[in-house]
Amino acid sequence: MIMLYFLLLPLIAVFIAPLLTPKRATYLSSAAFIIPFFSILYCIFKGNGCPSEIHIMNFSAPIGEIYLNFDFISHAFGLTICAVSAMVALFALPYMKHRFEEMKRNVKSEFRKYIFLYDLYAVSMLWLVYSGNLILLYIFLELTLITAFLLIYSYGYGNRKWVGLLYLIWCAVAGVLTLAGFIIIALDPLNNTLALKGITTVGMLAWAFIFVGMLIELPVLGPHVWLPWAHAEAPTPVSALLSPLTVGLAGYVLLRIALIDYSFITTYRMPILAYAIFSSIYAGFSVFTQTDFKRLLAYSTVSQMGYILVALCLGPFGLIGLVIQYMSHAFGKSILFSSAGGIIAVHHGLRDINKMGGLHDSIPTISNAAVVGFLNLGGILTIGMLGEFFILRGVVDTFGVNTMSLAIILPVIFMFMLSVWYGFYTIRKVFYGKPKDTKRLEISRYFYVPLFIIGILSVLLLFPPLSTALIPGLKAVIWTFMGVGGVMP
Amino acid sequence: MNYEWIIFLLLFLAPVVSSIPIALTYKSKEWTEKLPYLSVFGIFVSVLMSLYIFFSFPENLPACRFSYSWIPGTGIDIVLITDYLSRYMGVITAVIAFFIAVYGLDYMRGDYRPSWYWFFFNLFTASMLLVVYSDNLFLLFVGWEGLGAASWGLIGHWFRDDDEIAYVGVPKRKVGPLELSWPPSFGGWRAISTIRFGDVPMFFAIAAIWVFAGNLNISEIEWGTLFVTIGYAGTIILLLCFLIGLFTKSAQVPFSEWLMTAMTGPTTVSALLHSATMVAAGAFVFIKLTWYIEPWELAHIPVPGLEHVYIFVLFVGLISGLYGALSGSGMLERKVLLAASTMSSIGLMFAAAAASFWVGHFALLVAFWYMAVHAFAKASLFLVSGHLIHATHSRFLCGGLEFGKRMKTPFIVTIIATTFLVGIPPLTAYWVKSGMDEVMEHLIHPLGLIPLILLILTSLVYAGIMAKFLSLNFIKGEKPHHEHVEGGGLMKLGYLMMVSVLIYILFYLVLFRKEEIPHEFISAGGLLTSFGVGIAILACYCIALYKPRISALSKLGTFFNDRMYLPFVNDYILPKTGFFVSHLVQDYGNRGIDGFFNTKVMPGLFERISKGIRTIQTGYLTNYVKIVLGLVMIFLVIASIGGMWI
Repeated sequence: MIMLYFLLLPLIAVFIAPLLTPKRATYLSSAAFIIPFFSILYCIFKGNGCPSEIHIMNFSAPIGEIYLNFDFISHAFGLTICAVSAMVALFALPYMKHRFEEMKRNVKSEFRKYIFLYDLYAVSMLWLVYSGNLILLYIFLELTLITAFLLIYSYGYGNRKWVGLLYLIWCAVAGVLTLAGFIIIALDPLNNTLALKGITTVGMLAWAFIFVGMLIELPVLGPHVWLPWAHAEAPTPVSALLSPLTVGLAGYVLLRIALIDYSFITTYRMPILAYAIFSSIYAGFSVFTQTDFKRLLAYSTVSQMGYILVALCLGPFGLIGLVIQYMSHAFGKSILFSSAGGIIAVHHGLRDINKMGGLHDSIPTISNAAVVGFLNLGGILTIGMLGEFFILRGVVDTFGVNTMSLAIILPVIFMFMLSVWYGFYTIRKVFYGKPKDTKRLEISRYFYVPLFIIGILSVLLLFPPLSTALIPGLKAVIWTFMGVGGVMP
Repeated sequence: MNYEWIIFLLLFLAPVVSSIPIALTYKSKEWTEKLPYLSVFGIFVSVLMSLYIFFSFPENLPACRFSYSWIPGTGIDIVLITDYLSRYMGVITAVIAFFIAVYGLDYMRGDYRPSWYWFFFNLFTASMLLVVYSDNLFLLFVGWEGLGAASWGLIGHWFRDDDEIAYVGVPKRKVGPLELSWPPSFGGWRAISTIRFGDVPMFFAIAAIWVFAGNLNISEIEWGTLFVTIGYAGTIILLLCFLIGLFTKSAQVPFSEWLMTAMTGPTTVSALLHSATMVAAGAFVFIKLTWYIEPWELAHIPVPGLEHVYIFVLFVGLISGLYGALSGSGMLERKVLLAASTMSSIGLMFAAAAASFWVGHFALLVAFWYMAVHAFAKASLFLVSGHLIHATHSRFLCGGLEFGKRMKTPFIVTIIATTFLVGIPPLTAYWVKSGMDEVMEHLIHPLGLIPLILLILTSLVYAGIMAKFLSLNFIKGEKPHHEHVEGGGLMKLGYLMMVSVLIYILFYLVLFRKEEIPHEFISAGGLLTSFGVGIAILACYCIALYKPRISALSKLGTFFNDRMYLPFVNDYILPKTGFFVSHLVQDYGNRGIDGFFNTKVMPGLFERISKGIRTIQTGYLTNYVKIVLGLVMIFLVIASIGGMWI
């Protein structure tokens, strides 16, 4: 029960923070996510000592029981969301002030609106991953959509109103399709409920609706066109939640559905996998030609989301890979978007990569943070390594090692290479080379300390004791659902 | 936790932890001048620990394997091993890193970002030690990625690209469409992109081993059973994937280009990473793997494909050896010449280790001891050339006899290091090289004369380029434009210590005849053929010393200097193809989809439909009446047709 109170903390902060000064509101919001972060960490170490669910209320069929689900999958996602939200909130303090001044608005009153939306946005993602009922999950999904839309609409860059609407429409379509899928599940006489633990089967039609909806949200090649607009034009703290956390939640929804009924994936494995790999490689190539730093990062997100979809197709080990890939991408991309934001704030709106180069001299800390971010994306020395390893294992588990399976193995290998290639290519282009100005700028600590905290967390998660506690727990949950080899300790 | 783990923790963590303070105080000039001593001390702790492991930890299985749970129930564990290879290689790594770090105190003084340098230098040392001691393939790969990241950081250390002295190649020299000159930031990017090309397949191979062997510990896996399980194609795919990782890291053909441009990094980095340890890590892991695969033991059970893989490695190694030596023969840049020769040496290590398939255990020892000798000799040479670059402000070979007399210590060190390395009897490398000759002679029966011929050719050219290095730096080179011969005490100390180890190894090999060192080295050195090859090497060395440049062959030299135009693959064909695809994707794909959904087609369609609907809303009653009447008419028509139908 105590877990529930910890989760309520950020929800309370949503309403208190707007009453405070910007600095205090920021600290409150950050603390409201850090405390649940540690409680989740405690639960991960405690293992089965923590309650696995908390009942809230019962509805009549076909909605069923509403409860909060506390398994390791939710914990892994929740941990990520708390860490990133808390740190980005800190980063946003100087950034949003700067943004409001740039927009010639009253900083104090705008900050109230902003922090309300920001907290609500983050907390709805947190609650989404703990929702034990699909309808609750859907509500939070729409809540993230609306809050993010309002944030883009009010504080974005460029043609922000158009971009905001674009984002709203795409994600509304995604949401409606998903809802349709959920309703079909609920009306299935075998289920007659939307409580996750009560659902026993997901029909092909329901799967198809949810799948297509979540492909738009994820997004993969085709529907991906909304993402570069939204990520590039959103105010950077919003980009730093939107890309790392929100879009990946589509992966979370797919994972939850896949754990209930994996048959859709096994039936259409090859086309989905081929599409996912193609999409990831396609987006990876798109990165090289971008000239806007935030747009570049947005394409990299599309590429990384391809990994998630690939992981979804690869059996139990792939599903562990999916969770870790989400975490690793979230850490990496939040660092990267924040460093892009740092450049914007420090260098007066600089976003054009062709005008960058040698920035390491003026902002070494941000540059180093970006390196850690790209290490996360590439899975080098961070938790992303485990993600890649599990995905590769999933490939071998599913297809074996022979001349036929090379058709899958080689593209997957190439897909993983691309992220490091574009990552370090970008680093060189943005931060290294002949500097235009060798003067080191004095910048606010908020711009880099939170990023390094995320970075350190992502490295620590690779090593004992964190991974020792987390991964076996994830494995146990997924193994139970997938019914492989009995329950792991 | 017992004391062994405390030793291991100190071994791996001391370098990393001791470099954190300097990384944090990057802003303060005062601190960044003092704290390098702490970083060096951290490496010194590693040296002590590696020596302690060498002298007091068990050597034989299973006592030499130490295991600690990492991710329970998966096989991913922290497993360290102190077998023959690891204990020696650990000491070699730590000692070389320490000597170079001492040298670096002088060499890097006054640099513009010491925090970055020391942090990555120490991270590198820790990663390399991890690769050396780990038995678990996943743990090994963690260290392996650490090597890659540290290598990137250190090569691109002088990221400003503003000092010509840090470039590779002659600036503005164009061959065809390509400018053959590379700045440090490019060197870093090229290193990590090449290494990544090998790392992912290797990671995949590790995952496949995990699935089929159910275990990730090199010394525990039943390799023979594994290969039989996955069959011919499986074995070849698996091992090739694994080997690409090793070949890219060790800069074997055709992945050698990154090593040449890695010379844009500080010389200490070239000495530690790009000659003694990191590039040798590929060969080391191959030796370690073969040590436990024991392919010569697998002859009685048919293991399909294994022989083909070993033939492949043998020839990649030999060809890289010859390619590196030939390329080096045309080079005039101090460090790039040494880089090419390093690549050549590592090729020979691979070849010798691969020969173990037919020859047995002895070939692995030959490869390993050649690695050890090479590491100390080549690191000394790199350190010397670093000092020379400081002294002459030129990265090209220059310096006459007069200059040599003023720079006595580096002169003597170069003489010792080159002669001890190329295989002149009876100096250190001669005994190991004789072993290598003998190994290749054994291959005449299964594979013919080619391996032996390639080896001897490589050795001769190699002797030539080493002599050329000596001659053009100290004897017959042009007079340097700038001479700054004073100072550099710590630098001299660094390479003096380094080169003295070669003499120690000579006595260790020949005089003490310790049991761990195979006496075959001595008997091989006594053979007439080996002696003949040794004399031929000496002759080559002397000729090149006397005539380091042959003007008649200058065209051929330019061809070799341009690495036989291999840069065109890396810098022209690959990026052109890549950017072609990415422009295709961006200019047509993304723009097309964006235009369809977001900006043109769909919005246009909506606009047209809504305009169409809005044209009705004119406000004139007659219009509405017309529409209603029209609808009624249509209804009546349908109804009457329907009525007739029924």
